[in-house]
Amino acid sequence: MDAFMAFLTIFTHPELLVLVGVGTFAGVYVGAIPGLSVTMAVSILISFTFSWDVLPAISLMIGIYMGGVYGGSRTAILLNIPGAPSAIATAMDGYPMAQRGEAGEAIGTTTVMSFFGGLVGIVVLAVLAPVVSDFALKFQPRDYMLLAVLGILLVGSLSSGSLVKGIFAGALGIAIGAVGMDPLTFTERFTFDIPLMRGGINFIAVMIGMFGVSEALMQLHHVDTPAIRQKINRIVPSFGTIRKHLPLSLQTSTIGVLIGALPGTGGDIAALMAYDHAKRVTKNPSRPFGEGAIEGLVAPETANNAAVGGAFIPMMTLGIPGDAVTAIMIGALFIHGLNPGPMLMVEQPDMFWFIVGALVMANFFMLLFGLTGIKLFTKIVEMPRAVLIPLILLLSIVGAYAVNNSITDVYWMLGFGVFGYFMRHYGYPLGPVILGVILSRLLDDNWRRAIISEREDLGRFFHGIVTSPLSLVLFIAVILIFASQTPLWTKFRKKETASK
Amino acid sequence: MKRFLIGAVSALSLMSAAAVAQEYPAKEIQGIIQWGAGGSTDTVMRAVTPHAEEILDGTIVLQNMTGGVGAIALNHVANEDADGYKILMGAENPLLYKVMGFGDKDYSDFTPINILARGTPILVAGADAPFDDYAGMIAYIKEHPGEVRLGSTGPGGVPSVVTAMIETVEGDLDVISVPYDGDGPALTALQGGAIDVMPAVLGAAIESVRAGKIKALAVVDVQENEYLPGVAPVTATNEGFATYLPWGPFFGVFVKKGTPDDVVKKLEGAFAVAATNPDFTDLMETRGFTLMSISGDEAEAFLTKWQQGTTWLLQDAGMTKSSPEEFGIARPGE
Repeated sequence: MDAFMAFLTIFTHPELLVLVGVGTFAGVYVGAIPGLSVTMAVSILISFTFSWDVLPAISLMIGIYMGGVYGGSRTAILLNIPGAPSAIATAMDGYPMAQRGEAGEAIGTTTVMSFFGGLVGIVVLAVLAPVVSDFALKFQPRDYMLLAVLGILLVGSLSSGSLVKGIFAGALGIAIGAVGMDPLTFTERFTFDIPLMRGGINFIAVMIGMFGVSEALMQLHHVDTPAIRQKINRIVPSFGTIRKHLPLSLQTSTIGVLIGALPGTGGDIAALMAYDHAKRVTKNPSRPFGEGAIEGLVAPETANNAAVGGAFIPMMTLGIPGDAVTAIMIGALFIHGLNPGPMLMVEQPDMFWFIVGALVMANFFMLLFGLTGIKLFTKIVEMPRAVLIPLILLLSIVGAYAVNNSITDVYWMLGFGVFGYFMRHYGYPLGPVILGVILSRLLDDNWRRAIISEREDLGRFFHGIVTSPLSLVLFIAVILIFASQTPLWTKFRKKETASK
Repeated sequence: MKRFLIGAVSALSLMSAAAVAQEYPAKEIQGIIQWGAGGSTDTVMRAVTPHAEEILDGTIVLQNMTGGVGAIALNHVANEDADGYKILMGAENPLLYKVMGFGDKDYSDFTPINILARGTPILVAGADAPFDDYAGMIAYIKEHPGEVRLGSTGPGGVPSVVTAMIETVEGDLDVISVPYDGDGPALTALQGGAIDVMPAVLGAAIESVRAGKIKALAVVDVQENEYLPGVAPVTATNEGFATYLPWGPFFGVFVKKGTPDDVVKKLEGAFAVAATNPDFTDLMETRGFTLMSISGDEAEAFLTKWQQGTTWLLQDAGMTKSSPEEFGIARPGE
């Protein structure tokens, strides 16, 4: 009963309700601007809400978090610039939809699906938190490594057209991710003795350049083409559409919660994996993937919002952050005199239920703010290109600078923008580059940890994989997914269908 | 016209120079935090700064600048004007940059404003580890060479220094050292069984110890700690540790060397009062940090002693890139 009352706190205190609402609204816009991240917003809020009570402070942070994860999809759909890494997959089908004049429908679907995913995440947090966190703890370095290998195999789904070019792009991404001081041995890698390179290449700057600047440069080719008229009669997807995608969205939400709950992986990887999953299981997408398939929106958007609830699972049950944002929230709880850790659930269960309540509320606000103002937003795409292109460039520069207040990041961003333009020009996909950067450290660090743990003995390493059920499942998944992309398998499948 | 402009500009600059001298802070101060958002340094700095702002009657805008084990932030502040408008909020590791080859600058290029607090390292093990105390752990490692996995956070991190201490006192240990990105991920791995033992800062591990998810083997200090009653200090098992203890990571606020004295005094005053705020002292207590709040010569002496002790310990353990001698860091006691 106490738990229920704590859950209701947010609904019975108008001032908290308002704070969640304000937070969510701000989050949608912070998330939409590339370079302004939720992590940054929440850490600024720590100083800002310092003298407040803990509940209002947490309410505001949760609002920003939920809204921000969703907001990244806006610019991804409208401008092909993901507002955050977790919206990269959304751009792949969202932008083609906007190019067909369906930006309204794309945003509407995204909003409803984010809401759905968010809800699944919260339900799992409320009901299964201890079970999921025990499961997440079981992940050993070799399992993280296998997960990263699974992620690398997504290159196949992210490269429309030539797989070879996709692999090249992915490898480039991995190399970019490796630049800087290696966190395990503190040895410099690919820094060429330039002090500025020691910190590595800012991955958000790469993303903004590759997507934002290269997009602006591409559009210069058709600067005179009139803008696409947007249809805005269909915004909220029909109930039939939602029901049709229910099985898929449940699956991708589950992927989102689990990946989100793992300390060390977050919404970005979850969204890409969900996209890949949708591509595998959807027999008849509304359009081919990459050309504006609704399924290509449903999957990443359910997954990245489900990952929010997931990230709270290890935070609330163990005091271990599920991602960068929950890491800061743990710091905030400390500052407000709480002791986040395994005992929090035992000694202060009210805090847990309050957070669940606030998340539910933030999710509803996200639906509300997501579905209103779409008309205004779609006007952005209807702007003449001569106006839009400089705007994109400006936004990219401000965004890249804002990440670290570093002018070097702006240079990187511009450099990768021009590079990305030529990559596009010659048919190299950009998605795998970002995938490579995201997974580079996960793969490299965990492979080394895993092999160091086995005294650098490959035999013992494989013995470990075979004897651990979790590793074995992941290993088999890697092999199956790899095999399914080889020509041999395709031939085999064709023969089988022919003989039937 | 031109002459008038020059006159006006120089008058303005004179006025602003006067303003700086008279009423620091005349504009926003930027506080550069060496480590990422949500980490210990970040939490400590964000907790103390609002109180200091109140006393200074100014604004300190905090910004996390990560990368290069904190060297990026340190070099950033070192390359700015020494006017007190960029302050560095850092931890202990810059004192190791020179010997570890991470950079050619350290706190000797800075003036300490306040060394706020220091942490106490402890040794923790997984809940089902086959030993319960320090002596048991050493015995187990000797009986099972090459089996125990020891968590670390890379060269120069707290675990590496504690490990160097243990190896200096006990002789070489045949363990597998598995590096993690920080004590958070390493403690997670400890709970999941990927590593067996981990030297960690008390504050980071205490909640999991209280919950029984991991167990404390020993306090790496000369006395028992009030938060871990019944856990023996390492010196109880081996007196040899006394030479190096008490030792711990610390947090401090710094400005570039050459900052005007009145600015330094003003900042020192502000942070000294801020560090006595009950909100802040409570936080330090719950996280298990020992409040220090020292400045001036006392802080300089503390830094020198810390650097001598730690760099030579790492040097003797063969973990450094260059000898402390090359940078004029004297061996302790010499």
